[in-house]
Amino acid sequence: MGKVLEKKRLDAFLRRVSRGADLIAPVKRDTLRFEVVRDYDDICLEGRPLFPIKKFFSPAKQDLFTLNLTKKKLFKEDEIKLKPRVIFGGRLCDFNGLLRLDKLFLSGEYQDDYYRLARENTLLLGINCDPPPSEYCFCESMDLERYYDLFFHDLGDKYYVEAGSAKGEALIMELEDYDFLIPPIRCEKKLDRKDLAKYYDDPAWEKENEKCLSCGKCTAHCTTCLCFDMIDELEPDMKRGKRYKEWDSCQFLNFTLVAGGFVFRKDRLTRFKHRIYHKLQYFRENFGVDMCTGCGRCIEACPRLIDFTEVINKFDQSRV
Amino acid sequence: MLFSPKPFRIVKKEAQTTDICLFKLERPRGEKEKLCYDPGEFFQVSVPGVGEAPFSVCSCSHDFIEFNIRGVGSVSNKLLELEPGSYMWLRGPYGNGYPMKDLIGNNLVIIGGGTGVAPLRGVLKYVEKHRADYEKVHVFFGFKRPEEILFKKDMEVWNRIFDLHLTVDKAPKDYKGRVGLVTKIVEESGLNNKNKAVMICGPPIMIKFTIMTLEKLGFNHDQIFVSFERRMKCGVGMCGHCMISGLYVCKDGPVFRYDKVKGVHE
Ligand SMILES: Cc1cc2nc3c(=O)[nH]c(=O)nc-3n(C[C@H](O)[C@H](O)[C@H](O)COP(=O)(O)OP(=O)(O)OC[C@H]3O[C@@H](n4cnc5c(N)ncnc54)[C@H](O)[C@@H]3O)c2cc1C
Ligand code: SF4
Ligand code: SF4
Ligand code: FES
Repeated sequence: MGKVLEKKRLDAFLRRVSRGADLIAPVKRDTLRFEVVRDYDDICLEGRPLFPIKKFFSPAKQDLFTLNLTKKKLFKEDEIKLKPRVIFGGRLCDFNGLLRLDKLFLSGEYQDDYYRLARENTLLLGINCDPPPSEYCFCESMDLERYYDLFFHDLGDKYYVEAGSAKGEALIMELEDYDFLIPPIRCEKKLDRKDLAKYYDDPAWEKENEKCLSCGKCTAHCTTCLCFDMIDELEPDMKRGKRYKEWDSCQFLNFTLVAGGFVFRKDRLTRFKHRIYHKLQYFRENFGVDMCTGCGRCIEACPRLIDFTEVINKFDQSRV
Repeated sequence: MLFSPKPFRIVKKEAQTTDICLFKLERPRGEKEKLCYDPGEFFQVSVPGVGEAPFSVCSCSHDFIEFNIRGVGSVSNKLLELEPGSYMWLRGPYGNGYPMKDLIGNNLVIIGGGTGVAPLRGVLKYVEKHRADYEKVHVFFGFKRPEEILFKKDMEVWNRIFDLHLTVDKAPKDYKGRVGLVTKIVEESGLNNKNKAVMICGPPIMIKFTIMTLEKLGFNHDQIFVSFERRMKCGVGMCGHCMISGLYVCKDGPVFRYDKVKGVHE
């Protein structure tokens, strides 16, 4: 059983749970964006930000080392400074995205310290999608987990609030009990799950991909894409500089460039297939889940509205 | 930290060809732990201010590492400028090398082309140290021209202790050694597949034709180990650059048993 929170008490509640932390929520400016909240009136829960929350866990550009070529210790590790955060207004697709990224950054022999610290220091307060915030949402097809510290469901003048962790439980202890069953998310858009291995040569791939510009917006906006480059940059004095990590995209031609100018995924079609196979087949082979949460951002952000669900839904069964 | 490189002192530098040098590096002073790496594994080597690139170990030792570096771009060309007494910054070792322990008791067939011979030198150095563990060792190395032959001093030793076949693609008339593609001498060798494991490293096209030759000789795909080269950034299975289908070349490879990677999509 959960609790109930009057809407008029939401600000006070958020202020309390985010004491000493940054409160991050969808904020309406030119567009809707997850940002650190300065004014509670800016918080906007209508629609979902086209840009996901991954930047709070692995920034688009992240300094790793300070380089000093005049010193014996050429590399100095940059200290990781992280304020505790509370994310309010994320959705199940957002938080499930973190579960996927955990596999990549925290499950193996090597782990990403920044990502771990960010994960450990962030409370996840989600909001239910009723109805789904975008026509491109198809999370119902993606087996999402109910993963959050707290989950809010809009009941008009109040929220039904449910805890998904001990931390969340503690936050709502004082609220009044309330009996309610959160309805599952229903999406109009569906992904017809298929064994992609059988359809690598299906003509539907090419038809949809013809329009692609290799701009990389799909991966930049994806909830779970975090491929990166590592770059050294020196100041004009050529003595001091930085080594940093920066998001990269498998949709760029140079992504697989090696010595001699050879590129392994030269045509856009192969790169498109790699993106989708990585999400729906390879990641599953490696980690047992899909690297896609059905948020639909890659479709909505694409200047050509390229939609991989259409490709998969249209596969020609008679060819296999 | 995950990506922190450590300084290793260069103790020796030997020019191999006009654009390739063999470097010998000592483990950092004061470092108590001995070096631990296997043939086929690699390190990410830094040039601060320029970047990092992966290089295979071509030695076998707990005290030093050797790299055979060809100047092809920004990092590698800068590395070639370094002299003994200065430092290279390394992180690693990374990757899955050749399964030397699993192959104990087998005959080994080692086939390399060009700079691809470097990681195989690591294998041969390993076998030198553990000679009793392996039966016959057949080595086939091909280079473009006589002046591009690498590891000439080692070749003399290997010629004595292994069944070494050295060839060049093209040579002046007075060249005394063997001329012809490496695939051709493998074919002419008449090797059978009995108790053998094959390790191949070289340019993609050479790997392709060598495998076709081995198939003709009756080798099965699970007897063949290939080493792949891909663009690498992190070296630890995070950055996504080196993926071939669901495999990370940096983490699952760079050495793969051929039946596991045959026909996978790029
Ligand atoms: C596992 C592994 C082991 C390896 N072992 C060895 C080894 O033992 N010895 C060895 O010599 N090499 C080895 N290599 C290869 C070596 O890592 C590469 O040659 C590496 O790219 C060299 O880095 P660089 O910075 O010098 O070259 P880069 O500056 O990255 O340039 C390499 C080439 O890429 C092209 N290029 C780069 N940037 C661009 C661009 N923006 N646009 C167009 N073209 C571009 C150029 O053609 C250039 O010649 C290995 C590679 C791998 C993956
Ligand atoms: S956003 Fe669309 S056009 Fe741009 S790379 Fe992705 S699929 Fe291609
Ligand atoms: S692939 Fe598209 S739908 Fe799936 S998580 Fe990424 S952006 Fe969302
Ligand atoms: S080099 Fe980054 S994933 Fe392999």
